[in-house]
Amino acid sequence: MRRAALATAIGAGLALCWWGAGLHAGLDLHALSGFARGLFPPDLSPAFLRVVAVAMVRTLGIAVAGTVLAVGLGLPLGLLATPALWRRGPLCAGERPGPSAALSWAFAALARFLRAVPDLVWALFFVVGFGLGPLPGTLAVGINTAGVLGRVYADLFEAVPPGPVLSLHASGASRLQAFAAAIWPQAAPSVLAYTLYAFECNVRAAAVLGFVGAGGIGQEINLSMRLFEYGQVTTLLFAFVALVLATDAVSRRARGRLRRNAVHGSGVMRTPVPVETRQGRTALPARLTAVLAVVLLAVAFQQAGFLNLAVPAHLGRFAAQLFPPDLSPAFLLALIEPLWQTIAVSILGTAIGIALGALLALPATATLMRDERDPDTAAARALRTAAYLAARFVLALLRSIPELVWVLLCIVAFGLGPFAGAAALGLHTAGVLGKLYAETLEEVPEAPGEELRAIGARPLQRLVWAFWPQARETLLSYTLLRWETNLRLSTVIGLVGGGGLGLALYNDVQLGWYPQAATLVLVIYLLVVATDSLAGRLRSPPAAGAAPASALDLVTAG
Amino acid sequence: MIYEARRVGHLYPSRTGAVASLLDVELRIEKGEQVALLGPSGSGKSTLLRLLNATLRPGSGQLRFEDRDLAALSRRELRQVRRRIGTVFQHPSLVPSLSAAQNALCGRLGSWTLPRALRALLSPTAEDGTLAQTALEKVGLAHKARARADELSGGQQQRVAIARVLVQDPEVLLTDEPFSAVDPSLQKQLAELLFDVARGRTLVAALHDVEMALAYFPRVIGLQGGRIVFDLPTAQVSSGLIERLYATRAAG
Repeated sequence: MRRAALATAIGAGLALCWWGAGLHAGLDLHALSGFARGLFPPDLSPAFLRVVAVAMVRTLGIAVAGTVLAVGLGLPLGLLATPALWRRGPLCAGERPGPSAALSWAFAALARFLRAVPDLVWALFFVVGFGLGPLPGTLAVGINTAGVLGRVYADLFEAVPPGPVLSLHASGASRLQAFAAAIWPQAAPSVLAYTLYAFECNVRAAAVLGFVGAGGIGQEINLSMRLFEYGQVTTLLFAFVALVLATDAVSRRARGRLRRNAVHGSGVMRTPVPVETRQGRTALPARLTAVLAVVLLAVAFQQAGFLNLAVPAHLGRFAAQLFPPDLSPAFLLALIEPLWQTIAVSILGTAIGIALGALLALPATATLMRDERDPDTAAARALRTAAYLAARFVLALLRSIPELVWVLLCIVAFGLGPFAGAAALGLHTAGVLGKLYAETLEEVPEAPGEELRAIGARPLQRLVWAFWPQARETLLSYTLLRWETNLRLSTVIGLVGGGGLGLALYNDVQLGWYPQAATLVLVIYLLVVATDSLAGRLRSPPAAGAAPASALDLVTAG
Repeated sequence: MIYEARRVGHLYPSRTGAVASLLDVELRIEKGEQVALLGPSGSGKSTLLRLLNATLRPGSGQLRFEDRDLAALSRRELRQVRRRIGTVFQHPSLVPSLSAAQNALCGRLGSWTLPRALRALLSPTAEDGTLAQTALEKVGLAHKARARADELSGGQQQRVAIARVLVQDPEVLLTDEPFSAVDPSLQKQLAELLFDVARGRTLVAALHDVEMALAYFPRVIGLQGGRIVFDLPTAQVSSGLIERLYATRAAG
């Protein structure tokens, strides 16, 4: 039995991850109940609310400035990394690659590096280089997101049908002209939509960067946790979740205006379509909008620490100290354990996320729970609606609290160590995957299921026989993409006490062992690249017209 | 009597207000009868079939199945009724990523419990295999049992849908112009297959093909603009009646 063998292999692999990485689940109920009691009542004193407000503005500032930076860097990077633009001679597929193709490959590799090294690791280094404050956080968000967006942009540009580009080029247009006239108009809506996605992710990221000293709401959460002021933690968490939900809502509306049906429920652009321009009485005069935008950006950059920019004198010396990385066998051997722990945490976290996410996705699927086509008693209908709303709420909550905050909460429950990391990763992943699972199930074509309904199949039978077979591949590729994200995350959860490579990196940086830290960054990079290609091989290739995997990656990230 | 419709009507919401797709339909169908439904497109044939297979509730009037009002049934009772009624649609919607054999096996879902359905999908028993295989053999698709449904041609998909009906083994068979999307050279073959399957069951068939209706069915019902305009034994259906059935739309 192939299926039985597969199940056994997965079970054995999970057990191996569990024991091999020294994961012990010791639930400290006493500490947890003390913590839970401490969470209430939330601290709503005016003095603290002022702190919260300042932290929120700063977090938003870091996210906005970081995203602007990322677009500024990512757009040229994406252009340079688009193979279609740099093939020798006529811009056509199958053409022998010339020297400029090698250049484009190099820029793609650069984008991959910027993306593979997590923003927290960038922040850790920038904090050493630039000192505490929002500036290193903004730079970290900007550089990491530039790598992410560079790849997404390149994939989107590459996916534009080549016909118009070829004909323009044949009529003597330069590469940039061909890009501006033929590629950009077609790719622009997707580019904008995914940039907005990146912004949503950056709001979460900005909050988390505070953990390594970059200011904002994360720093306050970290501080309050360490001072055992759990009432403050509650206030901060609520404020943060509100911030995330608000930006998500604004960004979703903006994306919706890009074209309601161009964005798949889960964010997959189907086809590039022209941007709908907004008209009517609600539109502000263009000049006022521009002034407002400039003011907002100025505030964002001021909050992000750009206006009192003074490059510290020791920045160059610090950078020089990173080289050469420590590649001595003794040090490399010592890395095996944290490396293994990191991988195990990512796998276990993903497994927890799959199980919990799937469990929550079923009641959160509208086509199952809010189906009014068959008669039902009022009580049963109310029950179904309640379950649906509850599941949606839990998913939103799991998703909007960042992984690192979950780590802090899990450390309270399970104690320091990798298990807290795996549990935290699992909880956040459940929120992300659960929502994606539910949306995927909702978008399955309904006709086959309706035929089964017509011959007397129950809702759950339709789920198993009609929804699941049709959604299987999408579910698998979301899950694999999320695992890639989790691997990147599990390298950083160590920074707040979740074990693994992150802990080693944190210690090395704190102790000033920069060559060792450089080696760790290299290891993280190689690990992430290796996972990407492994998961890419397991995934079925995206269908024609579907979003490229790099873009979906952004969707599964938050 | 298996079906009894009393003043059944159905409205579809539309931009200009509700549009009636069925109006005051009076109908009685005895067990084992073979009835053809004729009428121009938009005359309400498909709506009537969806009412008969209990996936649509009448907007007005009463539809009884074996003397039970379909609108008054609970979810559970409705499922029990549905599993005794098989439907073959114009465009079958098989589950695209399942094999032909699995799609045929779907016919059993109505009579399975959830665990049994799960088991049949994950590790089907030998009995499940034979059931699907026998049905596919009858429709001449035994060699395609393992092919994915979306790799089959339209005619082959239609035959898998018929195999599903065989597995379901319903007492009532409803068909909604099942041949109109199939290559004309295959229509006759498919029709014979369907009549073979319908033997011993109640059959209500919406048809495009007037000659086929008159040649094979003892009773013909003409629908026009959501109303029954005639309901006669085939012998009494004159060519004038047929002409008028299809002519009005051209006239205005």
